[in-house]
Amino acid sequence: MRLELREVRHVYAPGTPREVEALRGVSLGVEPGEVLGVVGGTGSGKSTLAQHMNLLLEPTSGRVLADGRDARAMPRPELRRKVGLVFQFPEAALFAATVGEDVAFAPRRMGLAEEEVRRRVRRSLERLGALHLAGRSPHALSGGEKRRVAIAGVLAMEPEVLVLDEPTAGLDPATREELLGAVLGMRGEGRSVVFISHDLDEVAEVADRVCLLEAGRVLACGRPEEVFYEHPETAPAAVRVAREVRREHPRVGRPVRFGEVREALRGLLSGG
Amino acid sequence: MTMVGGGSSIGQYYPAPSPLHALDPRAKLLAAAALVVGLFLVDSMAGMLLVLAAVGVAAAISRVPPGAFGRLLRPVLFIVALTALFQVLFSREGPLLVGWGPLEVHEGGVRTGVFLALRIALLVTSAALVTATTPPVALADAMEDLLSPLRRLRFPAHEMAMMMTIALRFIPTLDEEAQKIMRAQAARGADFSEGGVAGRLRAVLPVLVPLTVGAFRRADELAEAMESRGYRGGEGRTRYRELRFGWRDVATLGAAVLLTGGAAAL
Repeated sequence: MRLELREVRHVYAPGTPREVEALRGVSLGVEPGEVLGVVGGTGSGKSTLAQHMNLLLEPTSGRVLADGRDARAMPRPELRRKVGLVFQFPEAALFAATVGEDVAFAPRRMGLAEEEVRRRVRRSLERLGALHLAGRSPHALSGGEKRRVAIAGVLAMEPEVLVLDEPTAGLDPATREELLGAVLGMRGEGRSVVFISHDLDEVAEVADRVCLLEAGRVLACGRPEEVFYEHPETAPAAVRVAREVRREHPRVGRPVRFGEVREALRGLLSGG
Repeated sequence: MTMVGGGSSIGQYYPAPSPLHALDPRAKLLAAAALVVGLFLVDSMAGMLLVLAAVGVAAAISRVPPGAFGRLLRPVLFIVALTALFQVLFSREGPLLVGWGPLEVHEGGVRTGVFLALRIALLVTSAALVTATTPPVALADAMEDLLSPLRRLRFPAHEMAMMMTIALRFIPTLDEEAQKIMRAQAARGADFSEGGVAGRLRAVLPVLVPLTVGAFRRADELAEAMESRGYRGGEGRTRYRELRFGWRDVATLGAAVLLTGGAAAL
């Protein structure tokens, strides 16, 4: 599915002294099968943006389009099944007695047959390396385990677009790597992923395209090398290194990922 | 999807630069208490009207929008109307005003009905005047101070006030948390508009369980944070905001007591 936001504005508490314009006309598209990274600092409107993708929040003005159709015309359950949203700290919403039951919540709500529900629970837990936790109580797990289970709970809907809001916040490096690997795996299945994060390094590793959000506006959208090299203030560590080297050695090119930078530097060193 | 109300309905504090806001919270509490006692002692219409006028003047001084009192009164309005109606219809005191078959309206009934309605409405309004013009924390401090003589009888005044303060402090936090959880479950297909007992329960459990788990976690964290900052209960504890009873407070309290006495005597 192709998801598109057109000139989306969102005002919280309109007409009160606490009125805040969180989104000031955001336009961006998510192509099928891509990982779109959305980066921006705190208060840039990332989380508000995320909640517009399945219309948990409705735009004050502007439109959300699903395959070119106005998403507001779609039944909400269908939209929310196709656009899976994982909130920041999603483990705060774990509730069932066992992990398996919790992950089964969404597919059951979809009215799937019990056999299919079980298949989806197994698959999504497996995908996040958490199948061995299925019989445990979600409240007795470690932080990283809870996070994986919570994401599996959304993945079990088998959404066409998966929106992840700061999915790695507060995770240890190993769990984080595993999670990023799982995200890349989903792209392989033709699903699209919206990866929202303030961590430029991890966005650089997974994103096919990057949108830069600032104060409720899209500052730039494009291929990672374009965005990161043209906006030096928002460049991941690897890009900052490559940019320094590039001043003297233009041959380094515009690598973005850690591995690409390493290879470029290696080539430079061996080539003299 | 239904969401929990925006928080402004609970707490009911309306910040405004009014003389009523500036009063010592103890004075306001005691004055309101005096007024409440007065309301129960008054048995003449003149006395009731005197209290009504006094509460009206206080409400005007407070600069709290009248709509705020209206919202507070709305839930009790039904009870007020019902009790007044019962009095009007079933009391057989005084001369008969209207008779219609078995239904008889007597003058005494109308009088008690109006009286009861005014009494309840004024009761709620004077309590609302205190909560609307006093920040919850100041109110808890005042309660602690007023209850402190009871400490000799081993009544935990400080602990009560601290519990109240903490509870009030966490209402907006829990409200926010509940909304977050509801949205997260809605993203997983939860439907909060479902009807029927089973449907309601199905919708409520996925919110209630994580909310409770979160509240316990928060309580633990708060207890640890308080202990690590040296909190050891009320003994010998000083306050950042000292309560001061000034001449305005004495005057207000005096006026309230006089008014009560006057209204009861009328």
